[in-house]
Amino acid sequence: MTASDTAATTPARKPGLLRRAGANPRAALGLLLLAVLVLGALIGPLVSPYDPVKPDFLVTLQAPNAAHPFGTDDLGRDIFSRILSGARVALLVGCVSVGSSIIFGTMIGLLAGFYGGWVGMVLMRVMDVLFAFPAVLLALGITAALGPSLTNAMLAISIVYLPIFARLARAQTLVVREQTFTEADRAMGFSDLSIMLRAILPNIMAPLIVQASLLFGDAIIVESYLSFLGLGTQPPQPSWGAMLKNAIGFLSLAPWMAWFPGLAIFVAVLGLNLVGDALRDRLDPRLRKSL
Amino acid sequence: MRYLTFRLLAIVPILFGISVLTFAVVQMVPGDPIVAMIGLEATDEAIATLRARYGLDQPVVVQYFAWLGNVLQGDLGRSIQTGRPVLAMLGDAIWPTVQLAGAAIFISLLIAIPAGILSAVRRNGAWDFGASFVALAGLSVPSFWLGVMLILAFSVTWPIFPASGYVPLFEDPAGHLRTLVLPAITLGTSLAAATMRMTRSAMLEVLSQDYIRTAWAKGLSPAAVITHHAFRTALMPVVTLLGIQMGQVLGGVVITETVFSWPGIGKLTVDAIFARDYPVVQGAVLLTATAFVLINLATDLVYAVLDPRATG
Repeated sequence: MTASDTAATTPARKPGLLRRAGANPRAALGLLLLAVLVLGALIGPLVSPYDPVKPDFLVTLQAPNAAHPFGTDDLGRDIFSRILSGARVALLVGCVSVGSSIIFGTMIGLLAGFYGGWVGMVLMRVMDVLFAFPAVLLALGITAALGPSLTNAMLAISIVYLPIFARLARAQTLVVREQTFTEADRAMGFSDLSIMLRAILPNIMAPLIVQASLLFGDAIIVESYLSFLGLGTQPPQPSWGAMLKNAIGFLSLAPWMAWFPGLAIFVAVLGLNLVGDALRDRLDPRLRKSL
Repeated sequence: MRYLTFRLLAIVPILFGISVLTFAVVQMVPGDPIVAMIGLEATDEAIATLRARYGLDQPVVVQYFAWLGNVLQGDLGRSIQTGRPVLAMLGDAIWPTVQLAGAAIFISLLIAIPAGILSAVRRNGAWDFGASFVALAGLSVPSFWLGVMLILAFSVTWPIFPASGYVPLFEDPAGHLRTLVLPAITLGTSLAAATMRMTRSAMLEVLSQDYIRTAWAKGLSPAAVITHHAFRTALMPVVTLLGIQMGQVLGGVVITETVFSWPGIGKLTVDAIFARDYPVVQGAVLLTATAFVLINLATDLVYAVLDPRATG
């Protein structure tokens, strides 16, 4: 038996986690940062040393120290505890806004691509109009119209991302509906709904998932913009954007109030972008060169 | 010509949709603009008179078509807050925004194009990894935080540039540049990151083509191959990206202008939202979205000129 025969008959050893992380250090770093975000959001409020909302006027504007590693704000609230609490908001925003836009956007794109005709035309022209607005401006307008709150900010971000998913889903559906297996399903008499859910949907999901992963971080940034402008999360609920807005008035007195919320956004979004890039490599190799 | 006509006709329904959505969104804004204008102590008669003067007592559909008719004649109404024509207010704000957007794009190209080319030429080298990571980091930095950090460093710690304000270019060119630097860097950073990634990607694609190998085989200098042969082809997706980025710029100015109190369209929009100044919000949003659509159209046309196959 030659060496090549041995290699062919011996099952290949699956690469370990560390080896795989070594092969793609950027993805590993992304996963690590993402794990920090998720852990911070899930267990942060349980382990945070102080109440993130309750003022303590005895310790206002304290620089980072052993008791308050990220310092305190103008109301004496522990910035580290508020950052941990803000992670929950960030994760919620990403999950809800991107989650709802991928669901509804895919439905719209799937219907438009599958049926075409006037249904497709009307749906996609509405999406074109939404797509014609700069994202931040549209989110700002919708949030201003509905009233400032975290729920409305998430709704606004969902609407902003809707045409992105709808266009992508439609384009993919147009390709998949012409495939032989879809034709076979049609010939076997399956209903339209069944063909869409069984034959088309599973085959158009990969690029949609990649897009969702890349928009997750973007959603966190847009929410922080809205909160920074006073239209997103409302006080006293901690949000990284609102914390930065508050910090502007104390830049010379307490710069740490601005350092850490921004750093938290940066780390979270960087992690998500690294993971998104890796996912894109994995699921959509045609785009690999853009890394 | 046929392509141009088709594209021009295609944007008409989009512009109509933009006008409907802009009007509808502003109608949903909570609070009465008349009460916001004259205060809670106003009498019912005074409120009714003003509502009639601004046409706010009419059905919404009538208000929309009246507004659209006026818009088409160049009349965007008057600001409820200041009484000035909205068109004049937009006219005052548009120049600072154009200056800021132009400076940001200039800075982004200045950084991104050489960095992207170098990354592609030295693929998988230390420079490539470093530049690619910095670009990804640039995409992950929230621009308002970057703005605040720049203010902290260059206005508070080392007072080199002013933290806010605007000096007109023709009044004091040096002063104008000093006020422009920090907001332009803030807005330009994320643009540079995306452009650098696109330049690198497009260059990698082109550098693997046969005609580039032929150019090397002919003994052309690296500068000639890279700039004359490869970059000219790689420029097309970069031009498209620049068009797409205009949406990012038009959205980004809202935040950047607010952070730096830059008196452009973005700050005007935010101020008008908080003042419930309906006509100004409508005018600013309509102008921005229309500009976005027209820039996208221009991008497509430039692309069609660069690559006639795109019109097929």
